[in-house]
Amino acid sequence: MNEVLLVFGYALFTAIATGFGAIPFMFVREVSQRFAAYSAAVAGGLMLGASFGLVAEGVGYGRGETLMGALLGVLFILATQRLLGEQDGQDLVFEAATGEGARKMLLVLIVMTVHSFAEGVAVGVSFGGGVTLGAVITIAIALHNVPEGIAISAVLRPQGVSVARCAGWSVFSSLPQPLMAVPAFLFVETFRFALPYGLGFAAGAMVFMVLVELLPEAYEHGDRAQVATLATASAVAMVLFQQWL
Amino acid sequence: MTTLPPLTAVLVFSGLAALTAVLGAAPQAFGRPPPRAMIGWANALAGGLMLGVAYTLLTEGLSGKLIAAGAGALLGIAFVRASHAVAGTGELDVDRLEESAGAAGGYKAVLVEALHAADEGVAIGVAMAVSTPLGIAMAATLAVHNIPEAMVLTTVLTRRGLGVGRSAAVAVAVNVNQVLLAVVAFGIVSRVPGSLPLVAGFAVGALMYRSLVELLPESYHQAGETSIAMVTLLAMGVVVLLAGVAG
Repeated sequence: MNEVLLVFGYALFTAIATGFGAIPFMFVREVSQRFAAYSAAVAGGLMLGASFGLVAEGVGYGRGETLMGALLGVLFILATQRLLGEQDGQDLVFEAATGEGARKMLLVLIVMTVHSFAEGVAVGVSFGGGVTLGAVITIAIALHNVPEGIAISAVLRPQGVSVARCAGWSVFSSLPQPLMAVPAFLFVETFRFALPYGLGFAAGAMVFMVLVELLPEAYEHGDRAQVATLATASAVAMVLFQQWL
Repeated sequence: MTTLPPLTAVLVFSGLAALTAVLGAAPQAFGRPPPRAMIGWANALAGGLMLGVAYTLLTEGLSGKLIAAGAGALLGIAFVRASHAVAGTGELDVDRLEESAGAAGGYKAVLVEALHAADEGVAIGVAMAVSTPLGIAMAATLAVHNIPEAMVLTTVLTRRGLGVGRSAAVAVAVNVNQVLLAVVAFGIVSRVPGSLPLVAGFAVGALMYRSLVELLPESYHQAGETSIAMVTLLAMGVVVLLAGVAG
């Protein structure tokens, strides 16, 4: 098969795997405010852990560049927040929610989708080292995407979004992966230069999002000790899971 | 980076880190208690440095032994939860301490800081066991971290009527644990190298949990969410930079 198609196919498979993250939410009948708080804690922990992985990979290509990328990621979120804020509270509608809930969902989706661009580049660049390891890398990335789907569903589900739509949005957030993997695979050298900035950007945006949206929400409606336990355990589990892959 | 024997290096650098707490009393010494928002930023700075330390240990201290590291992290969380339960310091809040008169509040603030210093000591010891430069970077990070932490503690203590000098002394004294545990952790990991992932995992679990249960929730009450997120992220970035200097 054409190598480019192969890379695209592999990367598409990894995007679809993100949808599996919605599965645990099939078993949740009632969505209370407390459940939303603990979901936010889990999502925050998973995103924090994922960012640790991104930074660790980024500094391998360039430490200063990764940190510069992180700063740009923060500025991006601030700008997005301002843009969404200008829609003025109740006017903003997304899925079943309006106002604050819609804003939060949109922010998380934007952050996770943008971070997939960087991950797509990472996939393409690593494929550039040879397609022989393709299957192994694909399975690793696909598994890695499942908890990211959990993080997204953990924010969307408490806002009344159905499990199927949570899965759909999770897959959507990962679509940039196949789209970016192909050009990165074809122009490895050019993209290798941009990679630390991209990884840093994704990490900065994600951590900022966790600190400015998810954790404050979790603390407001959940017990402090439980929030800290869930977030810490999720973050460590994510890092260990990625290292295992 | 240093020609000191390893154990002496642990003692010297963890000791220096403990001593920097005295700088946290500076705002009080100049007779200008820090405003509420600054206390929030100090908490966020301390919390961000903790999260950065956890990142460093997770990426450099596990040697691929993931199950041991995971078990260590759970033990770390359980240790802090148990210590809070025993000491009754679970939901300590500087603001509420102001409202609750009596010696118990001040005693709890001191106790929390002393317990906190213990996990930090483990982090220094573990990092030293990985490599001396990493250990020095860790001690430098915690030295910076100890200043805002001491600023919060001395603010609590001076508002309760303790003199500035004595508050500063208490802020340093609570860090004695840090030196002690640094030496113990370094000793254990040096003697039994296989214990490194477990001990590093313990430090990660305890430090992350502490920053999420003690430092960040308080900081959000004291300053706005955006500024807290900025300060926390900045502190994490500093740690990533320092780890790079350590090579």
